Amino acid sequence: MGARLLLIAALLLAGCSSAPKTADPPRVKAALEAESDGARRYARGDYAVAARRFDEAARICASIDDAPGVGRNRLHLARAELAQGRAEAALAVLAAAAGDGEGPSPGILLTIAQAQLALGRDVAAQQSLAAASAGCGSACPQLPGLRLLQARAALAAQRAPEALAHAEAALKLLQDMDEAAETGNAWRIIAAARLAAGDTAGALPAAGAALDIDRRLALPEKIARDWLLIGDIRRRAAPGDALRQDSAAAAYRRALDVANAAGLAAIATTATQALADTGGAAEAAR
Amino acid sequence: MPLLTEHDGDAAALRRGSRRFLVFAALVTLVLLAAIVVRQGLFRQTTSYSFVADSAQDIAKGQAVRIAGFRVGAVAEVRLKDDGQVEVSMEIDADQMRFVTHDARVELRKEGLVGSPTLEIVPGPDKTRLAAAQARLQFSRADGLTALANQVRDEFVPILKDIKAITGVLADPQQGVPATLARIRESSEALKILLANGNRQADAIGAGAVRVLGKAEVDLGHLGQTLESANKRLPGMLDRTQQMLDHVEKIAAEAELSVPPALRDGSAVTSDVREIVSGAKQAWPIRSLIEAPAPATLKADSDLHGEAGRGR
Repeated sequence: MGARLLLIAALLLAGCSSAPKTADPPRVKAALEAESDGARRYARGDYAVAARRFDEAARICASIDDAPGVGRNRLHLARAELAQGRAEAALAVLAAAAGDGEGPSPGILLTIAQAQLALGRDVAAQQSLAAASAGCGSACPQLPGLRLLQARAALAAQRAPEALAHAEAALKLLQDMDEAAETGNAWRIIAAARLAAGDTAGALPAAGAALDIDRRLALPEKIARDWLLIGDIRRRAAPGDALRQDSAAAAYRRALDVANAAGLAAIATTATQALADTGGAAEAAR
Repeated sequence: MPLLTEHDGDAAALRRGSRRFLVFAALVTLVLLAAIVVRQGLFRQTTSYSFVADSAQDIAKGQAVRIAGFRVGAVAEVRLKDDGQVEVSMEIDADQMRFVTHDARVELRKEGLVGSPTLEIVPGPDKTRLAAAQARLQFSRADGLTALANQVRDEFVPILKDIKAITGVLADPQQGVPATLARIRESSEALKILLANGNRQADAIGAGAVRVLGKAEVDLGHLGQTLESANKRLPGMLDRTQQMLDHVEKIAAEAELSVPPALRDGSAVTSDVREIVSGAKQAWPIRSLIEAPAPATLKADSDLHGEAGRGR
Protein backbone atom coordinates (compact mmCIF):
# COMPACT_ATOMS: atom_id res chain seq x y z
CA MET A 1 0.00 0.00 0.00
CA GLY A 2 2.81 2.36 1.07
CA ALA A 3 4.84 1.57 -2.04
CA ARG A 4 1.79 2.24 -4.22
CA LEU A 5 1.20 5.63 -2.63
CA LEU A 6 4.91 6.43 -3.00
CA LEU A 7 4.81 5.53 -6.71
CA ILE A 8 1.70 7.66 -7.33
CA ALA A 9 3.27 10.55 -5.40
CA ALA A 10 6.49 10.25 -7.43
CA LEU A 11 4.54 10.27 -10.71
CA LEU A 12 2.52 13.31 -9.59
CA LEU A 13 5.68 15.15 -8.54
CA ALA A 14 7.40 14.32 -11.83
CA GLY A 15 4.35 15.54 -13.75
CA CYS A 16 4.15 18.76 -11.77
CA SER A 17 7.88 19.44 -12.06
CA SER A 18 7.63 19.41 -15.86
CA ALA A 19 4.33 21.27 -16.10
CA PRO A 20 5.75 24.51 -17.60
CA LYS A 21 7.07 22.62 -20.64
CA THR A 22 4.97 23.21 -23.77
CA ALA A 23 4.30 19.70 -25.11
CA ASP A 24 3.40 18.98 -28.76
CA PRO A 25 -0.29 18.24 -29.40
CA PRO A 26 -1.00 14.49 -29.06
CA ARG A 27 -1.54 13.80 -32.77
CA VAL A 28 1.70 15.58 -33.75
CA LYS A 29 3.52 13.57 -31.10
CA ALA A 30 1.91 10.32 -32.30
CA ALA A 31 2.93 11.06 -35.92
CA LEU A 32 6.51 11.85 -34.94
CA GLU A 33 6.71 8.72 -32.78
CA ALA A 34 5.42 6.51 -35.61
CA GLU A 35 7.90 8.12 -38.03
CA SER A 36 10.79 7.74 -35.60
CA ASP A 37 9.87 4.11 -34.88
CA GLY A 38 9.69 3.45 -38.64
CA ALA A 39 13.14 4.98 -39.14
CA ARG A 40 14.56 2.81 -36.33
CA ARG A 41 13.11 -0.33 -37.90
CA TYR A 42 14.32 0.73 -41.38
CA ALA A 43 17.84 1.11 -40.01
CA ARG A 44 17.56 -2.41 -38.50
CA GLY A 45 16.45 -3.85 -41.88
CA ASP A 46 12.87 -4.58 -40.69
CA TYR A 47 11.43 -2.97 -43.84
CA ALA A 48 7.88 -4.44 -43.74
CA VAL A 49 7.08 -3.06 -40.27
CA ALA A 50 8.92 0.19 -41.10
CA ALA A 51 6.62 0.65 -44.13
CA ARG A 52 3.52 0.16 -41.95
CA ARG A 53 4.77 2.71 -39.42
CA PHE A 54 5.55 5.31 -42.13
CA ASP A 55 2.11 4.74 -43.66
CA GLU A 56 0.53 5.29 -40.23
CA ALA A 57 2.60 8.47 -39.71
CA ALA A 58 1.58 9.77 -43.16
CA ARG A 59 -2.12 9.16 -42.38
CA ILE A 60 -1.86 10.98 -39.03
CA CYS A 61 -0.04 13.89 -40.71
CA ALA A 62 -2.78 14.01 -43.39
CA SER A 63 -5.46 14.11 -40.68
CA ILE A 64 -3.90 17.27 -39.20
CA ASP A 65 -3.17 18.86 -42.59
CA ASP A 66 0.62 18.66 -42.11
CA ALA A 67 1.69 18.65 -45.78
CA PRO A 68 5.49 18.49 -45.15
CA GLY A 69 4.92 15.57 -42.75
CA VAL A 70 2.83 13.72 -45.34
CA GLY A 71 5.46 14.27 -48.06
CA ARG A 72 8.31 13.19 -45.79
CA ASN A 73 6.57 10.01 -44.63
CA ARG A 74 5.44 9.06 -48.15
CA LEU A 75 9.07 9.35 -49.29
CA HIS A 76 10.15 7.14 -46.35
CA LEU A 77 7.36 4.68 -47.22
CA ALA A 78 8.49 4.55 -50.86
CA ARG A 79 12.05 3.84 -49.80
CA ALA A 80 10.87 1.05 -47.47
CA GLU A 81 8.86 -0.47 -50.37
CA LEU A 82 11.92 -0.23 -52.64
CA ALA A 83 14.05 -1.95 -50.02
CA GLN A 84 11.55 -4.85 -50.06
CA GLY A 85 11.95 -5.08 -53.85
CA ARG A 86 8.44 -3.67 -54.47
CA ALA A 87 9.39 -0.99 -56.98
CA GLU A 88 5.86 -0.76 -58.48
CA ALA A 89 4.35 -0.08 -55.03
CA ALA A 90 7.08 2.52 -54.39
CA LEU A 91 6.23 4.28 -57.67
CA ALA A 92 2.53 4.38 -56.71
CA VAL A 93 3.38 6.01 -53.36
CA LEU A 94 5.78 8.46 -55.03
CA ALA A 95 3.16 9.41 -57.62
CA ALA A 96 0.89 10.47 -54.74
CA ALA A 97 3.77 12.34 -53.04
CA ALA A 98 4.74 14.09 -56.31
CA GLY A 99 1.15 15.32 -56.75
CA ASP A 100 1.26 17.20 -53.42
CA GLY A 101 2.49 20.81 -53.24
CA GLU A 102 4.34 22.68 -55.98
CA GLY A 103 6.05 20.01 -58.02
CA PRO A 104 8.14 17.05 -56.83
CA SER A 105 11.30 17.69 -54.80
CA PRO A 106 14.72 16.36 -55.97
CA GLY A 107 14.50 13.67 -53.25
CA ILE A 108 11.20 12.36 -54.68
CA LEU A 109 12.50 12.52 -58.27
CA LEU A 110 15.64 10.59 -57.32
CA THR A 111 13.62 7.87 -55.58
CA ILE A 112 11.33 7.67 -58.65
CA ALA A 113 14.43 7.24 -60.85
CA GLN A 114 15.75 4.55 -58.48
CA ALA A 115 12.45 2.62 -58.72
CA GLN A 116 12.40 3.01 -62.52
CA LEU A 117 15.96 1.66 -62.74
CA ALA A 118 14.92 -1.30 -60.56
CA LEU A 119 12.09 -2.00 -63.05
CA GLY A 120 14.41 -1.66 -66.07
CA ARG A 121 12.65 1.48 -67.34
CA ASP A 122 15.95 3.14 -68.24
CA VAL A 123 14.58 5.89 -70.51
CA ALA A 124 12.00 7.02 -67.94
CA ALA A 125 14.73 6.94 -65.27
CA GLN A 126 16.93 9.22 -67.37
CA GLN A 127 14.04 11.69 -67.72
CA SER A 128 13.44 11.68 -63.96
CA LEU A 129 17.17 12.23 -63.38
CA ALA A 130 17.22 15.15 -65.82
CA ALA A 131 14.31 16.75 -63.91
CA ALA A 132 16.08 16.11 -60.58
CA SER A 133 19.32 17.57 -61.94
CA ALA A 134 17.49 20.77 -62.95
CA GLY A 135 16.11 21.19 -59.43
CA CYS A 136 19.36 20.25 -57.62
CA GLY A 137 22.00 23.00 -57.48
CA SER A 138 25.72 22.65 -56.73
CA ALA A 139 25.13 22.68 -52.95
CA CYS A 140 22.24 20.21 -53.12
CA PRO A 141 22.58 17.50 -50.40
CA GLN A 142 21.29 14.85 -52.83
CA LEU A 143 24.07 15.60 -55.37
CA PRO A 144 26.13 12.43 -54.65
CA GLY A 145 22.98 10.27 -54.95
CA LEU A 146 22.05 12.05 -58.21
CA ARG A 147 25.53 11.40 -59.64
CA LEU A 148 25.38 7.72 -58.64
CA LEU A 149 21.95 7.22 -60.20
CA GLN A 150 23.15 8.98 -63.37
CA ALA A 151 26.10 6.57 -63.38
CA ARG A 152 23.73 3.60 -62.98
CA ALA A 153 21.54 4.86 -65.83
CA ALA A 154 24.60 5.36 -68.07
CA LEU A 155 25.85 1.87 -67.20
CA ALA A 156 22.45 0.39 -68.03
CA ALA A 157 22.62 2.19 -71.42
CA GLN A 158 26.14 0.72 -71.96
CA ARG A 159 27.85 4.12 -71.81
CA ALA A 160 30.73 3.03 -69.59
CA PRO A 161 32.93 6.19 -69.84
CA GLU A 162 29.99 8.40 -68.84
CA ALA A 163 29.11 6.05 -65.96
CA LEU A 164 32.73 6.12 -64.79
CA ALA A 165 32.83 9.95 -64.86
CA HIS A 166 29.60 10.25 -62.84
CA ALA A 167 30.69 7.62 -60.27
CA GLU A 168 34.12 9.19 -59.79
CA ALA A 169 32.49 12.61 -59.30
CA ALA A 170 30.14 11.07 -56.71
CA LEU A 171 33.09 9.44 -54.93
CA LYS A 172 34.83 12.81 -54.74
CA LEU A 173 31.69 14.42 -53.26
CA LEU A 174 31.36 11.58 -50.73
CA GLN A 175 35.01 11.83 -49.62
CA ASP A 176 34.40 13.77 -46.42
CA MET A 177 30.81 12.63 -45.78
CA ASP A 178 29.62 9.91 -43.42
CA GLU A 179 27.86 7.93 -46.17
CA ALA A 180 29.54 4.52 -46.19
CA ALA A 181 26.76 2.77 -48.16
CA GLU A 182 26.89 5.36 -50.94
CA THR A 183 30.71 5.21 -51.01
CA GLY A 184 30.46 1.43 -51.44
CA ASN A 185 27.93 1.93 -54.26
CA ALA A 186 30.30 4.40 -55.96
CA TRP A 187 33.20 1.91 -55.84
CA ARG A 188 30.97 -0.89 -57.19
CA ILE A 189 29.82 1.24 -60.13
CA ILE A 190 33.42 2.33 -60.83
CA ALA A 191 34.46 -1.33 -60.89
CA ALA A 192 31.59 -2.28 -63.22
CA ALA A 193 32.28 0.69 -65.52
CA ARG A 194 36.00 -0.10 -65.70
CA LEU A 195 35.20 -3.75 -66.43
CA ALA A 196 32.79 -2.67 -69.19
CA ALA A 197 35.57 -0.47 -70.63
CA GLY A 198 38.01 -3.41 -70.55
CA ASP A 199 40.18 -2.01 -67.71
CA THR A 200 40.28 -5.17 -65.56
CA ALA A 201 43.44 -4.04 -63.72
CA GLY A 202 41.63 -0.93 -62.48
CA ALA A 203 38.33 -2.70 -61.87
CA LEU A 204 39.65 -5.27 -59.37
CA PRO A 205 40.84 -2.84 -56.63
CA ALA A 206 37.59 -0.84 -57.00
CA ALA A 207 35.47 -3.98 -56.50
CA GLY A 208 37.69 -4.89 -53.53
CA ALA A 209 37.03 -1.46 -52.00
CA ALA A 210 33.26 -1.92 -52.45
CA LEU A 211 33.45 -5.38 -50.87
CA ASP A 212 35.45 -4.02 -47.93
CA ILE A 213 32.78 -1.38 -47.20
CA ASP A 214 29.83 -3.75 -47.67
CA ARG A 215 31.45 -6.26 -45.30
CA ARG A 216 31.84 -3.52 -42.69
CA LEU A 217 28.15 -2.61 -43.12
CA ALA A 218 27.20 -6.35 -43.06
CA LEU A 219 24.99 -6.24 -46.20
CA PRO A 220 24.73 -9.85 -47.50
CA GLU A 221 23.08 -9.03 -50.86
CA LYS A 222 25.72 -6.46 -51.75
CA ILE A 223 28.58 -8.70 -50.52
CA ALA A 224 27.33 -11.55 -52.72
CA ARG A 225 27.02 -9.25 -55.76
CA ASP A 226 30.52 -7.82 -55.08
CA TRP A 227 31.94 -11.36 -55.18
CA LEU A 228 30.08 -12.02 -58.46
CA LEU A 229 31.62 -8.85 -59.89
CA ILE A 230 35.11 -9.84 -58.69
CA GLY A 231 34.59 -13.24 -60.33
CA ASP A 232 33.60 -11.54 -63.61
CA ILE A 233 36.69 -9.29 -63.48
CA ARG A 234 39.09 -12.17 -62.77
CA ARG A 235 37.50 -14.24 -65.52
CA ARG A 236 37.81 -11.43 -68.05
CA ALA A 237 41.39 -10.54 -66.98
CA ALA A 238 43.01 -13.60 -68.56
CA PRO A 239 40.59 -15.92 -70.38
CA GLY A 240 43.31 -18.43 -71.30
CA ASP A 241 44.99 -18.59 -67.87
CA ALA A 242 43.84 -21.64 -65.88
CA LEU A 243 45.06 -20.11 -62.58
CA ARG A 244 43.00 -16.94 -63.17
CA GLN A 245 39.95 -19.05 -64.04
CA ASP A 246 40.37 -20.93 -60.74
CA SER A 247 40.50 -17.66 -58.79
CA ALA A 248 37.33 -16.51 -60.61
CA ALA A 249 35.64 -19.77 -59.62
CA ALA A 250 36.72 -19.17 -56.00
CA ALA A 251 35.04 -15.74 -56.10
CA TYR A 252 31.81 -17.21 -57.52
CA ARG A 253 31.90 -19.87 -54.79
CA ARG A 254 32.14 -17.15 -52.14
CA ALA A 255 29.14 -15.41 -53.75
CA LEU A 256 27.22 -18.72 -53.69
CA ASP A 257 28.08 -19.36 -50.02
CA VAL A 258 26.95 -15.88 -48.97
CA ALA A 259 23.75 -16.08 -51.07
CA ASN A 260 22.86 -19.53 -49.66
CA ALA A 261 23.49 -18.43 -46.08
CA ALA A 262 21.35 -15.30 -46.55
CA GLY A 263 18.59 -17.09 -48.48
CA LEU A 264 19.13 -15.06 -51.69
CA ALA A 265 17.82 -17.55 -54.26
CA ALA A 266 18.26 -15.38 -57.39
CA ILE A 267 21.91 -14.57 -56.63
CA ALA A 268 22.58 -18.22 -55.71
CA THR A 269 21.25 -19.28 -59.14
CA THR A 270 23.43 -16.68 -60.91
CA ALA A 271 26.51 -17.78 -58.94
CA THR A 272 25.84 -21.48 -59.70
CA GLN A 273 25.51 -20.71 -63.42
CA ALA A 274 28.71 -18.61 -63.36
CA LEU A 275 30.54 -21.42 -61.55
CA ALA A 276 29.41 -23.93 -64.17
CA ASP A 277 30.59 -21.61 -66.97
CA THR A 278 33.95 -21.04 -65.25
CA GLY A 279 34.44 -24.77 -64.74
CA GLY A 280 34.13 -25.23 -68.51
CA ALA A 281 36.43 -22.28 -69.21
CA ALA A 282 39.05 -23.55 -66.74
CA GLU A 283 39.03 -26.98 -68.37
CA ALA A 284 39.44 -25.36 -71.80
CA ALA A 285 42.34 -23.24 -70.50
CA ARG A 286 44.10 -26.40 -69.27
CA MET B 1 120.88 33.64 -21.92
CA PRO B 2 120.79 29.94 -20.79
CA LEU B 3 117.94 30.91 -18.36
CA LEU B 4 115.89 32.46 -21.24
CA THR B 5 116.51 29.44 -23.46
CA GLU B 6 115.28 27.10 -20.71
CA HIS B 7 112.03 29.18 -20.27
CA ASP B 8 111.36 29.10 -24.08
CA GLY B 9 111.59 25.28 -24.00
CA ASP B 10 109.01 25.00 -21.16
CA ALA B 11 106.64 27.41 -22.89
CA ALA B 12 106.83 25.45 -26.16
CA ALA B 13 106.08 22.18 -24.33
CA LEU B 14 103.09 23.83 -22.60
CA ARG B 15 101.74 25.12 -25.97
CA ARG B 16 102.08 21.65 -27.55
CA GLY B 17 100.25 20.07 -24.61
CA SER B 18 97.45 22.66 -24.79
CA ARG B 19 97.07 22.16 -28.58
CA ARG B 20 96.84 18.38 -28.22
CA PHE B 21 94.20 18.72 -25.48
CA LEU B 22 92.11 21.16 -27.61
CA VAL B 23 92.30 18.90 -30.69
CA PHE B 24 91.29 15.86 -28.60
CA ALA B 25 88.35 17.79 -27.00
CA ALA B 26 87.15 18.96 -30.45
CA LEU B 27 87.27 15.38 -31.77
CA VAL B 28 85.27 14.02 -28.78
CA THR B 29 82.67 16.80 -29.23
CA LEU B 30 82.31 15.96 -32.95
CA VAL B 31 81.86 12.23 -32.18
CA LEU B 32 79.21 13.03 -29.56
CA LEU B 33 77.34 15.33 -31.99
CA ALA B 34 77.44 12.67 -34.70
CA ALA B 35 76.07 10.06 -32.24
CA ILE B 36 73.20 12.37 -31.19
CA VAL B 37 72.28 13.15 -34.82
CA VAL B 38 72.29 9.45 -35.79
CA ARG B 39 70.25 8.57 -32.69
CA GLN B 40 67.65 11.26 -33.52
CA GLY B 41 67.28 9.75 -36.99
CA LEU B 42 68.16 12.89 -38.90
CA PHE B 43 69.95 10.87 -41.59
CA ARG B 44 67.13 8.32 -41.77
CA GLN B 45 65.00 8.38 -44.92
CA THR B 46 61.33 8.96 -44.20
CA THR B 47 58.14 9.29 -46.24
CA SER B 48 55.28 11.60 -45.44
CA TYR B 49 51.58 10.60 -45.40
CA SER B 50 48.59 12.49 -44.13
CA PHE B 51 44.95 12.00 -43.17
CA VAL B 52 42.00 14.21 -42.27
CA ALA B 53 40.04 13.82 -39.03
CA ASP B 54 36.98 15.57 -37.59
CA SER B 55 38.76 16.30 -34.33
CA ALA B 56 42.29 16.31 -32.95
CA GLN B 57 41.18 14.54 -29.80
CA ASP B 58 43.79 11.91 -28.76
CA ILE B 59 46.14 12.96 -31.61
CA ALA B 60 49.32 14.89 -30.82
CA LYS B 61 52.57 15.82 -32.48
CA GLY B 62 55.23 13.17 -31.88
CA GLN B 63 52.63 10.45 -31.24
CA ALA B 64 53.78 6.99 -32.34
CA VAL B 65 52.52 5.52 -35.64
CA ARG B 66 52.52 1.72 -35.80
CA ILE B 67 52.09 -1.04 -38.33
CA ALA B 68 51.10 -4.43 -36.86
CA GLY B 69 52.12 -3.11 -33.43
CA PHE B 70 55.64 -2.00 -34.50
CA ARG B 71 56.57 1.67 -34.27
CA VAL B 72 57.38 2.85 -37.80
CA GLY B 73 57.09 6.62 -37.48
CA ALA B 74 55.50 9.53 -35.69
CA VAL B 75 53.01 12.34 -36.13
CA ALA B 76 54.89 15.29 -37.64
CA GLU B 77 52.21 17.95 -37.65
CA VAL B 78 48.59 18.49 -36.53
CA ARG B 79 46.97 21.41 -38.31
CA LEU B 80 43.47 22.96 -38.16
CA LYS B 81 42.17 23.52 -41.71
CA ASP B 82 40.00 26.47 -42.83
CA ASP B 83 36.92 24.22 -43.03
CA GLY B 84 37.28 23.23 -39.35
CA GLN B 85 38.72 19.78 -40.05
CA VAL B 86 42.07 18.59 -38.76
CA GLU B 87 44.92 17.62 -41.09
CA VAL B 88 47.51 15.29 -39.60
CA SER B 89 50.90 14.64 -41.27
CA MET B 90 52.97 11.57 -40.40
CA GLU B 91 56.60 10.67 -41.11
CA ILE B 92 57.07 6.94 -41.77
CA ASP B 93 60.38 5.10 -42.20
CA ALA B 94 60.98 4.65 -45.91
CA ASP B 95 61.82 0.97 -45.23
CA GLN B 96 58.27 0.40 -44.00
CA MET B 97 56.58 1.97 -47.07
CA ARG B 98 56.06 -1.49 -48.54
CA PHE B 99 53.28 -2.14 -46.00
CA VAL B 100 51.28 1.00 -46.83
CA THR B 101 48.92 0.02 -49.66
CA HIS B 102 46.94 2.62 -51.63
CA ASP B 103 43.74 1.59 -49.81
CA ALA B 104 45.33 1.47 -46.35
CA ARG B 105 43.59 3.32 -43.55
CA VAL B 106 44.76 4.88 -40.30
CA GLU B 107 42.95 3.78 -37.13
CA LEU B 108 43.15 5.57 -33.79
CA ARG B 109 43.15 2.73 -31.27
CA LYS B 110 43.43 2.50 -27.53
CA GLU B 111 45.47 -0.09 -25.70
CA GLY B 112 42.60 -1.89 -24.01
CA LEU B 113 39.53 0.29 -23.42
CA VAL B 114 41.19 3.01 -21.39
CA GLY B 115 44.85 2.80 -22.47
CA SER B 116 46.91 5.42 -24.28
CA PRO B 117 45.87 6.14 -27.89
CA THR B 118 48.07 5.06 -30.81
CA LEU B 119 47.77 5.43 -34.56
CA GLU B 120 47.85 2.16 -36.47
CA ILE B 121 48.17 1.92 -40.26
CA VAL B 122 46.01 -0.99 -41.43
CA PRO B 123 46.92 -2.15 -44.96
CA GLY B 124 43.96 -2.62 -47.36
CA PRO B 125 43.00 -5.84 -49.17
CA ASP B 126 44.64 -4.86 -52.46
CA LYS B 127 48.36 -5.50 -51.90
CA THR B 128 49.29 -4.91 -55.53
CA ARG B 129 49.44 -1.10 -55.37
CA LEU B 130 51.31 0.89 -52.73
CA ALA B 131 50.35 4.37 -51.56
CA ALA B 132 52.38 7.16 -53.15
CA ALA B 133 54.48 9.47 -50.97
CA GLN B 134 52.41 12.39 -49.58
CA ALA B 135 49.25 10.28 -50.11
CA ARG B 136 46.15 11.04 -48.05
CA LEU B 137 44.92 7.93 -46.22
CA GLN B 138 41.45 7.16 -44.83
CA PHE B 139 41.04 7.66 -41.08
CA SER B 140 38.75 6.04 -38.52
CA ARG B 141 38.47 5.93 -34.75
CA ALA B 142 38.06 2.68 -32.86
CA ASP B 143 35.11 2.74 -30.49
CA GLY B 144 36.15 3.94 -27.04
CA LEU B 145 34.40 3.96 -23.69
CA THR B 146 32.37 7.07 -24.65
CA ALA B 147 31.02 5.43 -27.81
CA LEU B 148 30.17 2.28 -25.83
CA ALA B 149 28.45 4.37 -23.17
CA ASN B 150 26.46 6.26 -25.86
CA GLN B 151 25.46 2.97 -27.51
CA VAL B 152 24.27 1.56 -24.16
CA ARG B 153 22.43 4.83 -23.49
CA ASP B 154 20.71 4.72 -26.91
CA GLU B 155 19.55 1.16 -26.20
CA PHE B 156 18.34 1.89 -22.68
CA VAL B 157 16.48 5.18 -23.14
CA PRO B 158 13.56 3.69 -25.19
CA ILE B 159 13.32 0.78 -22.71
CA LEU B 160 13.14 3.19 -19.76
CA LYS B 161 10.44 5.20 -21.55
CA ASP B 162 8.37 2.05 -22.11
CA ILE B 163 8.90 1.00 -18.47
CA LYS B 164 7.60 4.43 -17.39
CA ALA B 165 4.50 3.96 -19.53
CA ILE B 166 3.95 0.38 -18.30
CA THR B 167 4.37 1.25 -14.61
CA GLY B 168 1.75 3.96 -15.11
CA VAL B 169 -0.69 1.34 -16.39
CA LEU B 170 0.30 -1.14 -13.67
CA ALA B 171 -0.37 1.41 -10.94
CA ASP B 172 -3.93 1.99 -12.23
CA PRO B 173 -6.23 1.05 -9.28
CA GLN B 174 -9.04 -0.08 -11.65
CA GLN B 175 -7.11 -2.24 -14.11
CA GLY B 176 -3.53 -2.45 -12.82
CA VAL B 177 -1.72 -4.61 -10.28
CA PRO B 178 -3.87 -3.61 -7.23
CA ALA B 179 -7.07 -4.74 -8.97
CA THR B 180 -5.40 -7.96 -10.12
CA LEU B 181 -4.19 -8.67 -6.56
CA ALA B 182 -7.73 -8.17 -5.22
CA ARG B 183 -9.06 -10.63 -7.80
CA ILE B 184 -6.33 -13.16 -6.91
CA ARG B 185 -7.27 -12.81 -3.24
CA GLU B 186 -10.93 -13.54 -4.05
CA SER B 187 -9.90 -16.51 -6.19
CA SER B 188 -7.68 -17.97 -3.42
CA GLU B 189 -10.55 -17.77 -0.93
CA ALA B 190 -12.84 -19.56 -3.35
CA LEU B 191 -10.12 -22.19 -3.86
CA LYS B 192 -9.86 -22.69 -0.08
CA ILE B 193 -13.58 -23.41 0.12
CA LEU B 194 -13.31 -25.77 -2.84
CA LEU B 195 -10.45 -27.70 -1.14
CA ALA B 196 -12.47 -28.05 2.06
CA ASN B 197 -15.38 -29.50 0.05
CA GLY B 198 -12.93 -31.79 -1.74
CA ASN B 199 -11.56 -33.14 1.56
CA ARG B 200 -15.06 -33.98 2.76
CA GLN B 201 -15.84 -35.74 -0.50
CA ALA B 202 -12.53 -37.69 -0.38
CA ASP B 203 -13.51 -39.11 3.07
CA ALA B 204 -16.75 -40.34 1.57
CA ILE B 205 -14.84 -41.81 -1.38
CA GLY B 206 -12.55 -43.85 0.98
CA ALA B 207 -15.50 -45.87 2.16
CA GLY B 208 -16.82 -46.27 -1.33
CA ALA B 209 -13.40 -47.39 -2.67
CA VAL B 210 -13.58 -50.74 -0.81
CA ARG B 211 -16.87 -51.48 -2.49
CA VAL B 212 -15.48 -50.40 -5.85
CA LEU B 213 -12.47 -52.77 -5.55
CA GLY B 214 -14.81 -55.68 -5.07
CA LYS B 215 -16.71 -54.62 -8.13
CA ALA B 216 -13.47 -54.09 -10.07
CA GLU B 217 -12.62 -57.80 -9.71
CA VAL B 218 -15.88 -58.69 -11.32
CA ASP B 219 -15.38 -56.06 -13.99
CA LEU B 220 -11.91 -57.42 -14.90
CA GLY B 221 -13.61 -60.68 -15.79
CA HIS B 222 -15.94 -58.74 -18.05
CA LEU B 223 -12.93 -56.89 -19.51
CA GLY B 224 -11.38 -60.16 -20.64
CA GLN B 225 -14.55 -60.91 -22.58
CA THR B 226 -14.63 -57.35 -23.97
CA LEU B 227 -11.03 -57.61 -25.24
CA GLU B 228 -11.92 -60.72 -27.15
CA SER B 229 -14.76 -58.96 -28.90
CA ALA B 230 -12.51 -55.89 -29.45
CA ASN B 231 -9.99 -58.09 -31.30
CA LYS B 232 -12.75 -59.08 -33.65
CA ARG B 233 -13.88 -55.49 -34.25
CA LEU B 234 -10.40 -53.88 -34.49
CA PRO B 235 -9.93 -54.11 -38.32
CA GLY B 236 -13.21 -52.28 -38.82
CA MET B 237 -12.14 -49.60 -36.35
CA LEU B 238 -8.84 -49.11 -38.17
CA ASP B 239 -10.74 -48.53 -41.39
CA ARG B 240 -12.82 -45.87 -39.67
CA THR B 241 -9.65 -44.25 -38.26
CA GLN B 242 -8.28 -44.01 -41.81
CA GLN B 243 -11.50 -42.26 -42.85
CA MET B 244 -11.16 -39.88 -39.91
CA LEU B 245 -7.58 -39.05 -40.93
CA ASP B 246 -8.84 -38.21 -44.41
CA HIS B 247 -11.34 -35.83 -42.81
CA VAL B 248 -8.53 -34.23 -40.76
CA GLU B 249 -6.58 -33.70 -43.97
CA LYS B 250 -9.57 -31.93 -45.52
CA ILE B 251 -9.95 -29.79 -42.40
CA ALA B 252 -6.26 -28.82 -42.54
CA ALA B 253 -6.69 -27.77 -46.19
CA GLU B 254 -9.65 -25.62 -45.21
CA ALA B 255 -7.67 -24.18 -42.30
CA GLU B 256 -5.07 -22.96 -44.80
CA LEU B 257 -7.75 -20.65 -46.14
CA SER B 258 -9.31 -19.68 -42.82
CA VAL B 259 -6.16 -19.18 -40.68
CA PRO B 260 -4.74 -16.10 -42.52
CA PRO B 261 -7.84 -13.99 -41.64
CA ALA B 262 -7.34 -15.09 -38.03
CA LEU B 263 -3.73 -13.90 -38.24
CA ARG B 264 -5.03 -10.60 -39.58
CA ASP B 265 -7.22 -10.41 -36.49
CA GLY B 266 -4.05 -10.96 -34.44
CA SER B 267 -2.48 -8.03 -36.27
CA ALA B 268 -5.53 -5.93 -35.37
CA VAL B 269 -5.08 -6.94 -31.73
CA THR B 270 -1.41 -5.88 -31.92
CA SER B 271 -2.51 -2.57 -33.36
CA ASP B 272 -5.00 -2.18 -30.46
CA VAL B 273 -2.25 -2.90 -27.94
CA ARG B 274 -0.07 -0.27 -29.61
CA GLU B 275 -2.95 2.19 -29.36
CA ILE B 276 -3.36 1.39 -25.65
CA VAL B 277 0.37 1.96 -25.03
CA SER B 278 0.22 5.19 -27.08
CA GLY B 279 -2.81 6.26 -25.03
CA ALA B 280 -0.97 5.55 -21.80
CA LYS B 281 1.97 7.57 -23.09
CA GLN B 282 -0.34 10.49 -23.86
CA ALA B 283 -2.01 10.40 -20.41
CA TRP B 284 -0.96 13.01 -17.83
CA PRO B 285 1.55 12.93 -16.13
CA ILE B 286 3.35 10.33 -18.27
CA ARG B 287 3.07 12.50 -21.40
CA SER B 288 5.13 15.23 -19.77
CA LEU B 289 7.93 12.72 -19.11
CA ILE B 290 8.23 11.60 -22.74
CA GLU B 291 9.52 14.04 -25.35
CA ALA B 292 8.39 13.80 -28.99
CA PRO B 293 11.17 12.69 -31.35
CA ALA B 294 12.41 14.91 -34.18
CA PRO B 295 11.42 14.18 -37.82
CA ALA B 296 13.44 11.18 -39.01
CA THR B 297 15.94 11.02 -41.86
CA LEU B 298 16.93 7.78 -43.58
CA LYS B 299 20.49 7.01 -44.68
CA ALA B 300 20.93 7.51 -48.43
CA ASP B 301 21.44 4.35 -50.52
CA SER B 302 21.00 4.77 -54.27
CA ASP B 303 21.65 1.07 -54.96
CA LEU B 304 19.77 -0.84 -52.25
CA HIS B 305 20.40 -4.31 -53.69
CA GLY B 306 23.86 -3.76 -55.23
CA GLU B 307 22.41 -4.30 -58.71
CA ALA B 308 24.71 -1.77 -60.39
CA GLY B 309 27.72 -4.08 -60.15
CA ARG B 310 26.33 -6.90 -62.25
CA GLY B 311 23.53 -6.82 -64.80
CA ARG B 312 19.95 -7.03 -63.50
